[in-house]
Amino acid sequence: MSVKVDPKLMKDLEHFGLKDVNKCFQCGNCTAICPLSTPENSFPRRFMRYLQLGLTDKILKSPEPWLCYYCGDCSTQCPREAEPGEAMMVLRRYLTSRYDWTGFSRKFYTSERFEIVAVAIVGILVGLALWLFRGSNPNMEHAALNSVWPAPAIEIADLVMAAILTFFLLSNTYRCAKFIMGDLLYRIPPAIYIKKAWELVVHFATQKRFGECTDKMQWFVHLLIMTGYSTVFLLVAVFLAGGLHVIGLYWDQLAFQRDVEYAIWHPIRLLGYYATAALLYGTTYAIIGRLKKSKAPYKNSHGTDWMFLILLELTTLTGIFIHFARIVDLPMTTYVLYVVHLMVAVPMLVLEVPFAKWAHLAFRPVVVFLTQVKEEYFKEQKMLA
Amino acid sequence: MANTETQSILVVGGGISGLTTAIEAAEAGYDTYLIEKNPYLGGRVAQLHNYFPKLCPPFCGLEINFRRIRANPRIRFFTMAEVESIAGEEGNFDVTIRLNPRYVNEKCTCCGKCAEACTMEIENAFNYGMDKRKAAYLPHDMAVPARYVLDPALVKSADAQKVKEACPYDAIDLAMETKTMNLKVGSIVWATGWKPYDAHKLETYGFGEFPDVITNVMMERLAAWGGPTQGKIIRPSDGLPPKTVAFVQCAGSRDQNHLPYCSGICCLASMKEATYVREQIPDAKIYIFFIDIRATDRLEDFYVKVKKDENLHFFKGKVAKITQDTSGKALVLRVEDTIAESLQEITVDLVVLATGMQPNTSDSPLPIQVPYDDYGFIAAQSAKPGLYAAGTTRTPTGVAEAVQDGTAAALKAIQSIARR
Repeated sequence: MSVKVDPKLMKDLEHFGLKDVNKCFQCGNCTAICPLSTPENSFPRRFMRYLQLGLTDKILKSPEPWLCYYCGDCSTQCPREAEPGEAMMVLRRYLTSRYDWTGFSRKFYTSERFEIVAVAIVGILVGLALWLFRGSNPNMEHAALNSVWPAPAIEIADLVMAAILTFFLLSNTYRCAKFIMGDLLYRIPPAIYIKKAWELVVHFATQKRFGECTDKMQWFVHLLIMTGYSTVFLLVAVFLAGGLHVIGLYWDQLAFQRDVEYAIWHPIRLLGYYATAALLYGTTYAIIGRLKKSKAPYKNSHGTDWMFLILLELTTLTGIFIHFARIVDLPMTTYVLYVVHLMVAVPMLVLEVPFAKWAHLAFRPVVVFLTQVKEEYFKEQKMLA
Repeated sequence: MANTETQSILVVGGGISGLTTAIEAAEAGYDTYLIEKNPYLGGRVAQLHNYFPKLCPPFCGLEINFRRIRANPRIRFFTMAEVESIAGEEGNFDVTIRLNPRYVNEKCTCCGKCAEACTMEIENAFNYGMDKRKAAYLPHDMAVPARYVLDPALVKSADAQKVKEACPYDAIDLAMETKTMNLKVGSIVWATGWKPYDAHKLETYGFGEFPDVITNVMMERLAAWGGPTQGKIIRPSDGLPPKTVAFVQCAGSRDQNHLPYCSGICCLASMKEATYVREQIPDAKIYIFFIDIRATDRLEDFYVKVKKDENLHFFKGKVAKITQDTSGKALVLRVEDTIAESLQEITVDLVVLATGMQPNTSDSPLPIQVPYDDYGFIAAQSAKPGLYAAGTTRTPTGVAEAVQDGTAAALKAIQSIARR
């Protein structure tokens, strides 16, 4: 089998944030210090080699970039300051762009200008749409969002958006699986996939491998952001109008976008508070960490890292403001904030989930799952032989 | 020659480089002062078991030098002496030297009665702290000058009087004080050498925590007749001979977090120490974990020879972490074999960290301004007019190169004063 060498790989990856990989002298300290590296799936040293040699195909087929959670031990202990941890992060960005068949992701990652313009365009479109499709008779005496943008209508927009996102994300995830598994993807009997399916759920929900890192704080912060976000996603996607309004399956008492004030212990309100607190803490922690470069994973920040955190923080803050504006009963303020809130939140979802940083929510658990499926398959093959 | 005073040369450091400079300059006809911080001459070389290139004990080489000193009235040497200040310029330096008290005068015959009477024990610095010694001690068996030393802590203690009375020759003088001495010299050679990099700083290697993790310089003492085990290579924890020994190369060397440079001698030092183990423990298995092997010139022959040993395994990969196994008896090294691309955990009985050479000037700079490189070595042989650097104070080297460098510095120092 011939080996294809891409001499421009390192140069190309500079746009994705790659540092000077040539500093690495292949001592292997990073691989041996990594708490997650195993004899079967060893990293990051191997990838420093692939990068130095331009072995694009090997990188594409590798699950390891997704098995790394970037605790940063490798970079801290690297005798050459070659930043292997950041190289793995860059590979995740690069792979995200390679999995994406539209080519949009690559542009998003390699050009900050494109990134900002894309976010701005989507934001403006959202603002325009909200202006055009506003209710004809808004309540200007009391803050009542449903009088301007009725929840059932927003829910339909939500569902359409969710369908598009899911389509892109799943098609990219399929390509990811295909790259990593190759022919094995179909050769492995479905029984093994089913047997290991639970692992997919567990890793999706807990990121428990992250907990094996030396620095547990990173896992905790990630869990806060993840659970905070999932909660709010549930509130917006499922409970916006109290259930699935389109098919008539809803209960007004559970509507997230409501014009009445729920009691403080109302589950929707409590969930909202949890999500807000978790997101606010997690995101602020990460932003301060990145500003201060407080630890290895926060030392290098790519444009997309900042965009992600800024959009998330703004979404959270505008969410909080809407809540208070509504309680204080300032109709115009509430409506303006609502528009701003969606102008930030929607681009974040539409652009980040299928094409950028947020896509890892699918790639990571799927790759962990596939690696275990593969292991199980080889184990069974060995027993048969 | 106008003035004999400014025609003299001061050599700072009585290790192999400084000894060479002082002797060569004196034999060429120049008055030389040699000053040494320790109570004995010979420096780090005296602490080796065997040394390159011929792998003989260093005392045969040192002894020749000591005889040359005795035979030459132009050399005056002072032990327990340190330079306090340097003023003036080339051809006319004023140097102040502090002479620390030894509390033992020239009447000492090395009978050892003082040590017998002494109960206080101190860490044995000559053996890198691997054992204790009496606070009234001979620095080591072959020490030159052959004279006991009293530790200042002993002199302050109640024991002092008892120790003094034990001496049948009236050689102990408890009233001895620190003295200063002023010298006028024409040129100066700085040869204060190196120290092993502090292995405690290598936090993933457990040095100081696991007794069976030692350093290369400690291994020399373990193998030496005058060492803490009378030359028997055993594990510090249980005194048993190790069946597997790991040499961890670049322990704190070529590392931006520690010493960023290569000391250039540790590869061969580890190979040499591996032969000590193989000679004493015939079935011992040895790993040498390396990033790159540096075996230059004729020493490459030694590398080739050692590589033929089937019990000796060269393993390409930097050890990342050393832990104790569950029994608490063996040590586990986590390391990637970068050739086979395999991550491994290797269990051994004894670990020897190949720590590098750190210049003493990095934390005790000269009392006069000279240029240093990024790591604290003196940046050039001609550090400033009339002041020259020799040996490992300038760059990490082995003994043979240090001797050459000492000779070169002697010539420089002579040229400096002969010009006027």
